[in-house]
Amino acid sequence: MKEVRSWSATLVSMPGKSGRVIACRACSAELCGTDASWKEHAVLRESPLREAAGATYRSAGDEVLLRRFYCGSCGAALDSEIALPGEPFLLDRLAE
Amino acid sequence: MDPMTFSIIRHRLFRIVDEAVITLKHVSGSAITNEGHDLMVSLYGADGSLLMGGVGFLHHLTSAAEACKAVIRKFGDRIGEGDVYLLNDPYTAALHTSDIYLVAPIHYDGKLVAWSACFVHVYDIGAMNPGGFSPQSIDIFTEGFSSPGIKIVDKGEMVQDVVDTILNMVRSPEMVMLDLRSMIACNNVARERMQSLIAKYGPETVNEAGAELIRQSEELLRARLLELPDGSWQSRQYLDVQGETATVRLTMTKKGDRLIFDFTGSSPQSRHSINCTYWAALGGLFAPLFPLLCYDITWNEGVIRLIEMIAPEGSVVNCTRPAPVSVATVGAIQSVNNAACATIGKMLAASDKYREQATAVWHANHFAIFKFGRNQKGGQSIGILTETFAGAGGASAFADGVDIGGEVPNPISRMANVETVEASFPIRYLFRKRMADSGGPGRWRGGTGGELAIVPHKAPDGGLHYVISGKGDRHPMSDGLAGGLPGGPNAYLWAKSGEAAAAGDDGRLPGGAQAVSWGVFPLMGEDALYVRWNGGGGYGDPLDRDPENVAKDVVGALVSADAARDIYGVVLSEQGVVDTAATDALRGSMKAERMAGEAA
Ligand SMILES: [Zn+2]
Repeated sequence: MKEVRSWSATLVSMPGKSGRVIACRACSAELCGTDASWKEHAVLRESPLREAAGATYRSAGDEVLLRRFYCGSCGAALDSEIALPGEPFLLDRLAE
Repeated sequence: MDPMTFSIIRHRLFRIVDEAVITLKHVSGSAITNEGHDLMVSLYGADGSLLMGGVGFLHHLTSAAEACKAVIRKFGDRIGEGDVYLLNDPYTAALHTSDIYLVAPIHYDGKLVAWSACFVHVYDIGAMNPGGFSPQSIDIFTEGFSSPGIKIVDKGEMVQDVVDTILNMVRSPEMVMLDLRSMIACNNVARERMQSLIAKYGPETVNEAGAELIRQSEELLRARLLELPDGSWQSRQYLDVQGETATVRLTMTKKGDRLIFDFTGSSPQSRHSINCTYWAALGGLFAPLFPLLCYDITWNEGVIRLIEMIAPEGSVVNCTRPAPVSVATVGAIQSVNNAACATIGKMLAASDKYREQATAVWHANHFAIFKFGRNQKGGQSIGILTETFAGAGGASAFADGVDIGGEVPNPISRMANVETVEASFPIRYLFRKRMADSGGPGRWRGGTGGELAIVPHKAPDGGLHYVISGKGDRHPMSDGLAGGLPGGPNAYLWAKSGEAAAAGDDGRLPGGAQAVSWGVFPLMGEDALYVRWNGGGGYGDPLDRDPENVAKDVVGALVSADAARDIYGVVLSEQGVVDTAATDALRGSMKAERMAGEAA
């Protein structure tokens, strides 16, 4: 297995203390092991989409949430998703 | 086989499809066909399998293959040279009743050697609502004429009693007849060109080239899949109809040389006509797959062999008869397509080799708005607002999406000129332009969508009515990628005659406005209809966008000053010049604020 390989456009996988881990592509900070759900280890900011700036988002439904996942080490945006309240995170994983 | 001959035959097959498309456009009289390019032509093998996928709406490539196979099963030995069959039943193969397939066998020396198939969205199909999209329908029985396969041309002769029966069930039969004639002409051109190709190279050689082409596509896609990482990626799409939300959920798994699209967990079928049937869902996922994974591979049966779909029966993506499906193409099918675009984008972005081929979701929310009524010439007109095909490009890893830049599932989609529409309908455009803040923010911005407003003009009856099947203005649907944000959602407003405007109403519209999205509404007297369509998804972190690009967007009225500051972290002077120090400071504090948050 290559030392560092792509996990997504914003994440990589690499060797950690106990097995391979998912890390921020920008700053190499470790998030979690490759078998875990990385979004649970990132910083989540969840707010109504209509409160995000811009004329067009204001017409979104009250209950429509914008979830943004950030690296807790460098603040890089790692992913975003649209969700209704209570939706599980979209899970993307590589088979390693 | 000799590579030169193979290459010549391959290119001839491409050109046959191109010429057939031109024929279709030139003979049809419908704006949806010749302006919007809501059409498709492809060639199929003797057994109905896809041989050469054409352009137009790519959802149809696999569905029309199933239509050929259904006709083969039904008619068998009775299929004769010069026959043409009509099929538009969604529970057999079609997407919805108004997208009619005409499939025609191609014979050589008396032997069936291939099929050509095409579709147009016919002028009308006799559903409850004019134009084919029928939001008021409650089942397939109220969605107009529907056939699982019927012969309309017998050995070169029109089966007039059958055609008359169909025309007796639709509005504007003369226009529907023109649509049928355009498809017959298209199939005639495809057949004649195929026969001359076979006459030149011989049936064995052409057959061998076709088999080789399919083998080649399979091998090329297999090699590509083996280069991409194994894994699974998820996406979901919300469809809102009158406050009821249906969800399309997708887990796409790639393992070795196989790609599996699993829609388990999607909502049960809806009582509204946004559902789609099995063949429609399959077409919906192939529509982005062909251009995104097979941009340099011929679209045929070889590609299809490596793909699997799981769509639970009775769900919004595999509904059971008699569920209504007339809005499917802008409903569940488009959501399947968006979901597949999102997961394929994420898979490509996970590969160092293919990251530059990844794209955020493009124009994800069609709005089917059909105007109908008496026109300024005294005749009856039915026609779609072709701006639904204008689209918006998704951003990629190296570029912004193209503003009003089309859509992934139809490489040739476009909108009509304002003047063309005003010439055939008693309406006037107040404006039609790119929409600020509609492109999804990101390091690379999604292409903008647009906005328009129309009013009645010189209408003999004081105006028109319109059928609107907007599948929701509550949810953004063009997802961002790699931390980019989605494009802004659609909006539809009816500015009512005589209604006083309230504070905050759009001053460009005559009077107060209310949201509309589903059903039949008037455009009479002083009414106006305002439509805003979504932009494409953004790619990457908006805080990484070059501030100069943000400044340019603000000057061009594509991004508001609010969004420049609050989303992109760019501070501009009153003259619109980037304040570099203030921008660095703002971006720094926004990043610090992100880091201050707790892990999820
Ligand atoms: Zn980081």
